[in-house]
Amino acid sequence: MKEDLMEIICCPLDKHDLDLEVTERDDGEILSGELVCTECSETFPIEDGIPNLLPPDMRDEAPA
Amino acid sequence: MGEEPSDAADAGGDGDRPSLADQRGVESVYQPAEDSDLLARTARERVGAGDTVLDVGTGSGYVAARLAEAGARAVGVDVSPLACREAAGNGVPVVRGDLVEPFRADAFDLVAFNPPYLPTPPEKEWDDWMEHALSGGEDGRRLVDPFLETVERVLAPGGEALVLVSSLTDPDAVRAYASDHGLASERVASEKHPYEVLVVLRFSAE
Repeated sequence: MKEDLMEIICCPLDKHDLDLEVTERDDGEILSGELVCTECSETFPIEDGIPNLLPPDMRDEAPA
Repeated sequence: MGEEPSDAADAGGDGDRPSLADQRGVESVYQPAEDSDLLARTARERVGAGDTVLDVGTGSGYVAARLAEAGARAVGVDVSPLACREAAGNGVPVVRGDLVEPFRADAFDLVAFNPPYLPTPPEKEWDDWMEHALSGGEDGRRLVDPFLETVERVLAPGGEALVLVSSLTDPDAVRAYASDHGLASERVASEKHPYEVLVVLRFSAE
């Protein structure tokens, strides 16, 4: 993801702002890291450049 | 029993359409078809350069990519990790998420949604990502209803949502449901196909 995506995303649970913690960055693209809600502290992973903002109870729900 | 073209057979209760299994083929991410194309064309006429737009259930990223070509800042969201990967591979900024939940209030000038809309009896559901991409549940509105309940929050003032529905999904029922949730609606495009009429409905705050 690009950093400017932060302007339009929020915590899916309480709609508060997210803090971006970058683990790996490549040429302006954030490849891995975490998004942390500034209100409820829920943590959302960024994997392979894609932020996973599913609520935790849907995160592991994977059709076979 | 007379001979009928096989594609008109209706033994399985799916209506006059090929079964979901036939449609899904071997793919696990929904690939753009007539419905995506009608939604993309309709949305493209309505977006301006610099508009921020969201493509809900982006799948391969097709609608978002078409809107980006028109100069919009287009973002996709999908619940499927496979779809997210494919959309990202097609150059679409994408978020894995549930409908409009992970987006800020007033963020979008236009939200486009091509939902899974095929009415599907429970015993015919497939528990995989392609089933999720095609099946609208028993009434075809499994994801349309929650979308209509939540989309207004993310629309900028004057913003609009465009939803592709089928005659199989009862567009009038969809509009009545939207009205109950404070959304005005109008029909902005339609196209006749062999098994259904595809309709694009526009929703905005009342």
